[in-house]
Amino acid sequence: MDLATFRKGLDDWLDEHGRELAPEHDGLGTLDERMVQLAKVKRRSFDAGWMRWGWPERVGGLGGSPILRAYLGEALTARELVEPDVYSMTEVLAPTMIDFAAPELAAEMVPRLLRGDEIWCQGFSEPGTGSNLASLACRAIRADGGWRVTGQKVWTSYAQYASHCVLLTRTGSLESAHRGITALFVDMDSAGITVRPLRTMHGSDEFSEVFFDDVAVPFDRTLGEVDQGWAVAMDLLPYERSTSLWHRCAYLQRRLERLLESVPSGALGAAEVGEVAQLLIALRARSRDTQYRMAGGEQLGAETSIDKVLLSTAEQAVMDLAARGLAPEVLVGEDAASERWRAEYLYSRAASIYGGTTEIQRNIIARRLLDLGDDR
Amino acid sequence: MDATEVELFERSVRQAAADHTAEALDRALTDLGWPDALSDDPYTAVSILFPVQGAANATSSALDQVVATGLGMGPRTTEAVVLPRLGMSAVPGVAGDDGVSVDGLGTRASTRAETAVVAARGDAGQTFFSVAVADLRLEPVRGMDPELGLVRVTADGVAPGSRTEPSARAWPTTVVLARLGVSYEMLGAARAMLALAREHALERIQYGGPISRFQAVRHRLADTLVAIEGAEAAVNAARSARSPELATVAKALAGGRALTAASHCQQVLAGIGFTAEHSFHRYFRRILVLDQLFGSAHALTAELGEELLRSRALPDLLPLEDPVAMSAPR
Repeated sequence: MDLATFRKGLDDWLDEHGRELAPEHDGLGTLDERMVQLAKVKRRSFDAGWMRWGWPERVGGLGGSPILRAYLGEALTARELVEPDVYSMTEVLAPTMIDFAAPELAAEMVPRLLRGDEIWCQGFSEPGTGSNLASLACRAIRADGGWRVTGQKVWTSYAQYASHCVLLTRTGSLESAHRGITALFVDMDSAGITVRPLRTMHGSDEFSEVFFDDVAVPFDRTLGEVDQGWAVAMDLLPYERSTSLWHRCAYLQRRLERLLESVPSGALGAAEVGEVAQLLIALRARSRDTQYRMAGGEQLGAETSIDKVLLSTAEQAVMDLAARGLAPEVLVGEDAASERWRAEYLYSRAASIYGGTTEIQRNIIARRLLDLGDDR
Repeated sequence: MDATEVELFERSVRQAAADHTAEALDRALTDLGWPDALSDDPYTAVSILFPVQGAANATSSALDQVVATGLGMGPRTTEAVVLPRLGMSAVPGVAGDDGVSVDGLGTRASTRAETAVVAARGDAGQTFFSVAVADLRLEPVRGMDPELGLVRVTADGVAPGSRTEPSARAWPTTVVLARLGVSYEMLGAARAMLALAREHALERIQYGGPISRFQAVRHRLADTLVAIEGAEAAVNAARSARSPELATVAKALAGGRALTAASHCQQVLAGIGFTAEHSFHRYFRRILVLDQLFGSAHALTAELGEELLRSRALPDLLPLEDPVAMSAPR
């Protein structure tokens, strides 16, 4: 399956089924509504085959280049059928399972994620562990028949909806830092797990605190080698900055287009509009190169930090422009479209914080790409 | 050219460029077959030469040859080309009953050539003339970047020698190629500035260690790399798409981000970068002037914004399909 054939087939299918795929809610919708919509679109796309292309056959896919996944997410986002943040969790978690889970476990679990039967979450950050991921403390102890996990995670997206969690745990001493971390695939309905959603400033409960109190996890749910969980984390993070980022870019492009359609004449100057469009084009050009590097089998690494900085900058610039051009809507509008702009504007403030702050990305660029040596 | 040939070419150009004379570089380019490469595949040839020229702070007649190629005349090694005035992208000549009037710029090549090509607009559309350089007024432009060797080229009603009726696409294609060339040159200069600033940060000792350990310095250099990489991706995309719209955006990005790079690098270079003996200022001067060739970042950005506000639509300039990337993932 080449990209041109895939694109044509998918576009035709989306044209034909657009009405039944469209969300039933107006605007952004509640988180519950967005989850129902996501499950519907994934299910139908999976049954029609589109969601299976670009994934290996051993996990229920149809094979082919990951470029196909980049286009699927772009098309679904550009047509406003899915929100890129919930949709793209698949792009982050499925590759990790394929790379690190036992083959039988990946074959059993990944199709459920692709088909939209399940939501998964990613348990990385902790109250005392933000930028410095290697300092995490959520403990996993060997016991009879499996691990016992005790500790706390935070900023866990969609944990209240999740059936499984890719969890980083401390299995070595705290001083072992990145050498004593083990990744586990945890059932979220296990006894001892408590999820407490956090209300964010943009009015959504998408992040949660997750508490683990002596939770039993079988040994065969270990991802990768014991004490080698850092490799899982390092493998996963570039995925956040590749296919997912292309989807987010398609979303920003769509929002800028919506802004251009609705902005009152004279509300925005030519230079500021041109500048934002250029930021998006630079981001898209950079991200496209990344898609092809990934499709060519290259291992992605520190260079994707550049993509992330470009994304944060572009996302905030698009939403700053919207806040200037549509000030009455963003500030005091009460209709669904205004509420959507308001929530998106506020959410964009997090673009330079989540997934590694812009400062952390710059640290990575300085050390790994510019080879500036140690910073102390 | 395959990868090995490209590498050899780049090394030879770097050596020739290190001589700091345009003549030496022009001779080297001819010896290396650059004019042939330009005829075969101007887009690739431009992307190979100009980053090296920019990084070396060198000058040559390459831009003349690119413009001549875009005009459909093939690279001319003995004939110069009149470029648009600073900030402009329109043809530099006007053809009338009493000959051709010219108001444009020449590179150093125009002072050595006997004839120059002038693209002009007239009642019958665009025409390209070959005129005797002796009939043109050439005044050296020293200004911000004397070493670039630009000359102001003017004439009122000069008699045309030979004339060519070009295809309607000739001038737009020329502008695309010239914008790509100048963009690559600015990016080459920006990378050279980053290398200078990086080296300085690692060598300059303060408070008992190199200043490269300070986050403020590291982040400026990181932002410089981000600026360069984003612009370069856009320039490469414009090259593979051969798209006038994308080349316009790419030129604006390359100019704007090269200036961002200059600002960060100068701050990191601090006192030493402010001296005339340090080479930073040569790169800074070069990009200030190059940004103005074939449309400045400032003007092209406003132009794009006006078009978007007028059409109220966002054309998809960068589809996921990319023929070049698909055949040769890099």
